[in-house]
Amino acid sequence: MGSITHEALLKAGPYRDVKVSKAEAGLAKELYRFMLRLRLCEEALAREYHPADEMRCPVHFCVGQEAVPAALSVLLDSEDYLYCHHRSHGYYLAKSSPMDALFAELYGKSTGANAGLAGSQDISYHANRFYSGAILAGATAIAAGTALALQMAKTDRVAVAGFGEAATDEGIFWETVNYAALAKLPLVLVCENNNYSVFSPQLKRTSVDNIAERVRSFGMESTAIFGNDAMQVHRTLKEAVERARHGGGATFVEAYTYRWSGHYGPASDDLVGYRAAEDLEAWKRNCPLTLLRAALQQAGSLTDAEDAALTKGFEDEIAASFHFAKSSPFPVAPDWHPLNLATATPQADRLLADVEAGDFDAHQELVQAKGY
Amino acid sequence: MTRDSLAQAKAAHPAKDHPEQSYADALKQGLSQAMELDAGVIVIGQLVDYAPGVFGSTTGLAERFGADRVRDFPVAESAMTALGIGAAIAGMRPVLVHHRLDFMLYSIDAIVNWLSLWRFKSNGQSSAPVTIRAIVGRGWGQGPQHSKSLHAWFAHVPGLKVAMPATAFDAKGLLLESVFGQDPVLMIEHRSLFGLKDRVPELPYRVRFGRAVVRRAGDHATLAAAGNMVPFALRVAAQLAEQGVSAEVVDLRTVAPLDHETVCRSVAKTGRLVVLDPAWLSFGMAAELVARVAERQGRSLKADPLRICHPDSHTPMSSALETVYYPREADAAKKIRAMVA
Repeated sequence: MGSITHEALLKAGPYRDVKVSKAEAGLAKELYRFMLRLRLCEEALAREYHPADEMRCPVHFCVGQEAVPAALSVLLDSEDYLYCHHRSHGYYLAKSSPMDALFAELYGKSTGANAGLAGSQDISYHANRFYSGAILAGATAIAAGTALALQMAKTDRVAVAGFGEAATDEGIFWETVNYAALAKLPLVLVCENNNYSVFSPQLKRTSVDNIAERVRSFGMESTAIFGNDAMQVHRTLKEAVERARHGGGATFVEAYTYRWSGHYGPASDDLVGYRAAEDLEAWKRNCPLTLLRAALQQAGSLTDAEDAALTKGFEDEIAASFHFAKSSPFPVAPDWHPLNLATATPQADRLLADVEAGDFDAHQELVQAKGY
Repeated sequence: MTRDSLAQAKAAHPAKDHPEQSYADALKQGLSQAMELDAGVIVIGQLVDYAPGVFGSTTGLAERFGADRVRDFPVAESAMTALGIGAAIAGMRPVLVHHRLDFMLYSIDAIVNWLSLWRFKSNGQSSAPVTIRAIVGRGWGQGPQHSKSLHAWFAHVPGLKVAMPATAFDAKGLLLESVFGQDPVLMIEHRSLFGLKDRVPELPYRVRFGRAVVRRAGDHATLAAAGNMVPFALRVAAQLAEQGVSAEVVDLRTVAPLDHETVCRSVAKTGRLVVLDPAWLSFGMAAELVARVAERQGRSLKADPLRICHPDSHTPMSSALETVYYPREADAAKKIRAMVA
């Protein structure tokens, strides 16, 4: 696709190019299962969010933006690193992190992924090498640093950073693009361009909407795609991940998509008047889940009964996760110090000697009296 | 090298056998030994691989350890710091170097929004032991963008350690402790100290955080100082001694954690507290230390505490103004004499 933009995608209308070949049926189903689970999870969380108000943290729902996490869920293995933005749940699940610990984290419980210290927008699951953050542009450079470590360790592991297009408004993003291209880092930068920084559209913030082209000019592989075609998102990210795995350097992928809910919380914020109702409707007609379901059904790879069984299974899992979260205890007042600083220094203990300072600098008053 | 072999190395080389080294050479030796001990130690910073080697502190490392591990970096401090965080998360031990602390301020987001709270928000599962060396300038017209210390800013943020070594011994020991510790560290090095020499052990050793040391014993006043104010305080103490005032000089060594216990013990003896802080007067480390001593034993003080700091003004360029901007030893001695009288 040449000059893909939000305007061009709206003009193009309903998307008809999702293709699932026989050979890809298994993959397509895996992507579909992931997106269905994520969609049901987000919708269930949205229903519970208000008026119960038991999840007392900002939640940025990712309904409508399921395709990128779905593709990553099948492309990354447990040794790869994934960093993402505040709209984190899809990425969290993409790294096979447990749903019950996600729910418990949102409820601020001690059984949460971070024992209630992080919440939705800062959640991490270190065992699975998944991290998120709300001041999100910085994570692109952190992912590049991890990629540098992986490169120096001569592994075939990769680091991936997911972020929104507004992260590219920040200087650190371009510093990262420059260095990742220069050092040929095993890094994939995946930009979910949903057009809005909260309310503010891209073309109100930049004079041109050509992020992928700008990245290419830094000497990095770069491409823009329609981000709700999960098959295409998978193909593109697969190429990027394999390039990174095999020493081919970093890739930027810009996946055009759209968020259905407000910036945060389940309610619409459309009363602000920042986007047209018909735009949202048009994007809902290009729902990543619906598009892939239709392609699977057309290929004869998904029956209604199978679909219903999948839904039922996920609904049960979600109910169990709610039960786990709600019945878990709140954390108790901690000792703050060890939460912020380490209590042990095993590596220093192993490598460094204790010497008596007095043996060496007992005469500092003489040494230092010389001064400068 | 194991601890036992370290102990043997130490026994084989008593202090007097260790050569004198400058602060810069001690830093270089610390980096070099850290890189020998752990392949995960890398040095990143602008021009770290050129012969001048950040005032001599990285000279020769690139030749020895290669361009992969001693990396010149684009003028992009923000990404540089974040890169260090990402590398540390994946198990490396990065050391970042800034010729002037002022340039490091481009990376405030990486330091405050990410590095300081990485351990906290992961509930202790993940850590980012990044060591950031930042040098503070003074003199020869460094002016307002080459002379800020700002240690109090970073000491204010939970999850960061801040070291201010005043001696070559401490420079190497605190650097190694930072590199192989589990927490992020800002090591603030005053440019004026780089030429100071003292005996430095050749083996890799540690200086622990939060352990102030008495550099000179005295009875009438406690002079608690950090960084380049330690030699200043020692010279003031020498002047005072000639005038019959016995001052005790405490080198704080690290600002976070801040060892107020050692200061409190000293003040319990002297009854008078003077804090010498190479930074602006208001809202600084000096205020914090005065508060901690006052909270503990304020009623036992024999005189009001005294802060010797920079005025609440940016640093002037002109040497005529620098002379009046920075604290002067004779003035400090006079104020302390008045305090003791």
